[in-house]
Amino acid sequence: MLPNFAYVRPSTLVDAVKELAKPGAAAHAGGTDLIGCLRDGVFDTKSVVSLTALKELHGVSATPDGGLRIGALTTLAEIARHPEIAKLYPALAQGAASAASPQLRNQGTLGGNICQRPRCWYFRGDFDCARKNGEFCYAENGENRYHAIFGGETCHIVHPSDTAPALVALEAVATVAGPNGKRKVPLGKFFVLPAVDHKRENVLAKGEILTEVVLPKAPEGARGGYRKMRVRGVWDFALAGLAYSVVVKGGKVERARLVLSGVAPIPWRVAEAEKVLTGKALDAATVKAAVEAAVAGAKPLAENAYKIDLVRAVVEEVLTAIPK
Amino acid sequence: MVELYWLQGAVPETTKPSPEMPPWKETAVVGKRVPRVDGYDRVSGSAVYPRDILLPDMLHAAILRCPHAHAKVKKIDVSAAEKMPGVRAILTAQSPGADIPWFPRRDKPSTSIFDQHLRCEGDEVAAVAADTLLQAQDALKAIKVQYEELPFVLSVEEALKEGAPVLHEGGNRVAPPAVYERGDLKKGLSEADAVVERTYTTACEIHVPMEVHGSVAKWDGNRLTVWDSTQGVFAVHETVAEALKIPMANVRVIGHYMGGGFGSKLECGKYTIIAALLAKVTARPVKLFLTREETFTMTGNRPPNKMSVRLGAKKDGTLTAIEFLSTGTGGAYPASATTSFMATDLYLCPNVKSSDENVFTNAGRARPFRAPGFPQCAWALEQAMDELAARLGMDPVELRLKNIPKTSQRRGNQPYTSTGLADCLREGAKAFGWNEARARKKPDGPVKKGFGVAASLWGYAGGPPSTVIVKLFSDGSVNLNMGAADIGTGTKTFMSMIVSEELGVPLEKIQIEHADTGTTQYTAPSGGSKTVPSDGPAARAAAWEVKKKLLALAAEEMKLPVEELMLSGAEIVSTKDSTKKLAVKAVKGLERQQVLVGVGTRGPNPEGKIVTPFAVHFAEVEVDERTGEVRVTRLVAAQDSGRPMNRLTYDCQVFGGLVMGIGLARTEERVLDRQTGKMVNANWHDYKIPTALDVPVDQKVVAVDPGDTECNATGAKGIGEPATIATAAAIANAVADAVGVRVVDSPITPIRMSQLFRERQKKG
Repeated sequence: MLPNFAYVRPSTLVDAVKELAKPGAAAHAGGTDLIGCLRDGVFDTKSVVSLTALKELHGVSATPDGGLRIGALTTLAEIARHPEIAKLYPALAQGAASAASPQLRNQGTLGGNICQRPRCWYFRGDFDCARKNGEFCYAENGENRYHAIFGGETCHIVHPSDTAPALVALEAVATVAGPNGKRKVPLGKFFVLPAVDHKRENVLAKGEILTEVVLPKAPEGARGGYRKMRVRGVWDFALAGLAYSVVVKGGKVERARLVLSGVAPIPWRVAEAEKVLTGKALDAATVKAAVEAAVAGAKPLAENAYKIDLVRAVVEEVLTAIPK
Repeated sequence: MVELYWLQGAVPETTKPSPEMPPWKETAVVGKRVPRVDGYDRVSGSAVYPRDILLPDMLHAAILRCPHAHAKVKKIDVSAAEKMPGVRAILTAQSPGADIPWFPRRDKPSTSIFDQHLRCEGDEVAAVAADTLLQAQDALKAIKVQYEELPFVLSVEEALKEGAPVLHEGGNRVAPPAVYERGDLKKGLSEADAVVERTYTTACEIHVPMEVHGSVAKWDGNRLTVWDSTQGVFAVHETVAEALKIPMANVRVIGHYMGGGFGSKLECGKYTIIAALLAKVTARPVKLFLTREETFTMTGNRPPNKMSVRLGAKKDGTLTAIEFLSTGTGGAYPASATTSFMATDLYLCPNVKSSDENVFTNAGRARPFRAPGFPQCAWALEQAMDELAARLGMDPVELRLKNIPKTSQRRGNQPYTSTGLADCLREGAKAFGWNEARARKKPDGPVKKGFGVAASLWGYAGGPPSTVIVKLFSDGSVNLNMGAADIGTGTKTFMSMIVSEELGVPLEKIQIEHADTGTTQYTAPSGGSKTVPSDGPAARAAAWEVKKKLLALAAEEMKLPVEELMLSGAEIVSTKDSTKKLAVKAVKGLERQQVLVGVGTRGPNPEGKIVTPFAVHFAEVEVDERTGEVRVTRLVAAQDSGRPMNRLTYDCQVFGGLVMGIGLARTEERVLDRQTGKMVNANWHDYKIPTALDVPVDQKVVAVDPGDTECNATGAKGIGEPATIATAAAIANAVADAVGVRVVDSPITPIRMSQLFRERQKKG
């Protein structure tokens, strides 16, 4: 049940940062993740700091160098139906459209989708797991069908976001505001593996918030998308997925970005597979090599080896469908 | 007999039914598509559900539940909680009057309402009533409990191991395995040209009705009124009176509206008794509704089952042997986990053996779950039939048609009053385009189409007792008084249609009083597809009696023999001379009396015969052979439930049944943590009920009406359960048809399919 908490709704970014720096403060944007966390008592909350009055966090606009700036409070529904995003950054549009359910997409924001807490049922449930204050990861020897096959060490969560893999693939840059002003963090460096710190999922320090995401100019001729596999047709997180952005020129792959969802504690970029592809024609042998590179190093737990098959399948499916 | 334990013993002597009513021929109202009479109230918010009840001075209550799979309460300290703001009462096992045996209406093993031996996560430890719900919930957190954690068992295999932790005195077997045999199984198997053998499992499914379970309790002196979200006010009535040791006459249970029930609301919950106790000690009305999280662990499930099936048949498809061995667990307290019935009765077969084993485990207790045991049985039996057809090189529809019984072999070989099984197979196949579909050339590409069929029967079709009262007022309007709850199935609508059919009164002139033990008459809870075949005939009998009284009055006034008169709409007309007529409102006898009352009771079922609904479902699926993603793209349900009462809600029932079947087949599964015994997916995200995108747009219902004139006075056999029994099996068979992989364990997820594809690859 919901705990007692104070609610504040600052009207400036400076005030918001100040409020968020206080002990027990939690940021509220769309609330679709926060309210569940409060209800389940996932973390102690003394105050809920609503960001919804911060006008500068809203909206989508063009950047001078041909890219796009998306405010953190832009809803997933707005992103999914934004014509320019759909045209130039289809991986992001498809990621946003595949998240959650229509109601949740109307309410949930891009910033929230990137910063949401993991869905691991031990983390969310009545278990004192390592990511909370406990000693160990229950998933290690427990019910781990939905857990990580890459990058899990002290904690085996998977990152739940459907938009973050696309943003990593698109080489987006996040703007972070905090007590010491603003800083820029590429999405590829925004997320934190359990080996670094198993109590948080990203680089945001106390009092910091993600204010916007800036997409660089889309490379000419890039093919992109997001393919998500799940148990249910909608309102479900990824069993595994692939966000991609690939440029083929003169019959050869000029540039490839492949980022997996649902398989690791962070959006999982498969750089080895990208390397295999770069400079090659997208023939069957290259695709096969990329598939193998994508799953190399996977360390499945007792119940999630199937994710290796899903990764193989999705990489093959996506690469095969790209016009040579 | 099929094990419907919530109905057992609920068939006492009833008064004689009204004189013979001839079966309906052409009907004017019954069988038409009629929107729900309370539809506007439901969608506009004016319908008051138990959860909506607000009474002056009402308190709110919450229950402290055991966080462990198996434990004992060592010490409990409520002193801090008692001092918290708004807290009015706290109940524990030590509270005076709280030592109430549970379940009051059943034999051993008997426990108590706050039992100190906690046998599963969620067992009740204490309860708080406070001014607000949040205060009550805060107080729960302040109650200090010292638990002694005990080792636990989660599966049948673990529970039966030597030295396993024991849940109840007498061991973990609920009862000795129930064995049924006819003929000679060995002989049957030796005579077979083909034998198939395989073990199947179904996952545990959780009840997730839209309205959570709960009650409001209010005392007036020594009289108690309970508003309950229930499928059966009379079941709650009996239990409340017995648990609190007060006369039934002092208890009134009201359940006018309720937000869905699929078997979990057939019985009285502990929460009702706790609400009544708290209301008593505080002298205030108390509202106690469970949270959604509580309902996941504590209000019931379809038990998990493991079923080993062996079928033998001759080359021509004639079955020679059926063996069906089932184990399951109804959880920590007595609850059925039986599945074998349908396997012993659906097909003609002389040599049959079945066995059902049920054990206790440290998990939430099962409840009847839409056709208890039958969808699990279909999952195993109907997949085995499919495999047998393939082995014999026969079409699966043909194999089933080859083995249609005319009698219920399991129930003393008594003939069915009607069986539409063969017609369901034929007409369903036609509507589905079965022959064309199965004859197709498989399309290229990694996404494969497949087509499957599965048949079913349901083991119950209503019976006494049920009493319904119909009153005709002097202005020609009617009051329909019935005990049945409308659990969302359209009960109020079809019952009104039956009255309208008999009396010619339009639906808008019929008002309904129902589901109130203070003002309506006994009927068994709405479950097991019994409401139409049990309460419908009683409604017809009541209307029939009113009509008889009205015609008798009219005959006197018209000076015509009563046999010559008929009721036609708002008039009484002579069948010999249509110019001789009298408006109902002009009948002086009615005006003098102001009201004509008809009391209708449900008569016994036909002697020496068995009433049974049948159904056959057809499924089309697409399976992505690379990812294991499965989509159900088309469903056809051919149902023999006798005469449809309201074709609109009949279809709606079937669509709902198909969706639940998709849940069993594709998405639903309780997951218990092997390390702690706690349920890890006790929420609406991780426990996956099907969404709109998991349900095909293309669903068709074929109503096969065999014209049953013997089953009861309505010709209807019940549609609720037979709408869901065969669905999952048909989907599994379609998956096997698509990719040649037999999925023995539900649900069919990409996880499962990937594993099966991997195994297939290994085998080469």
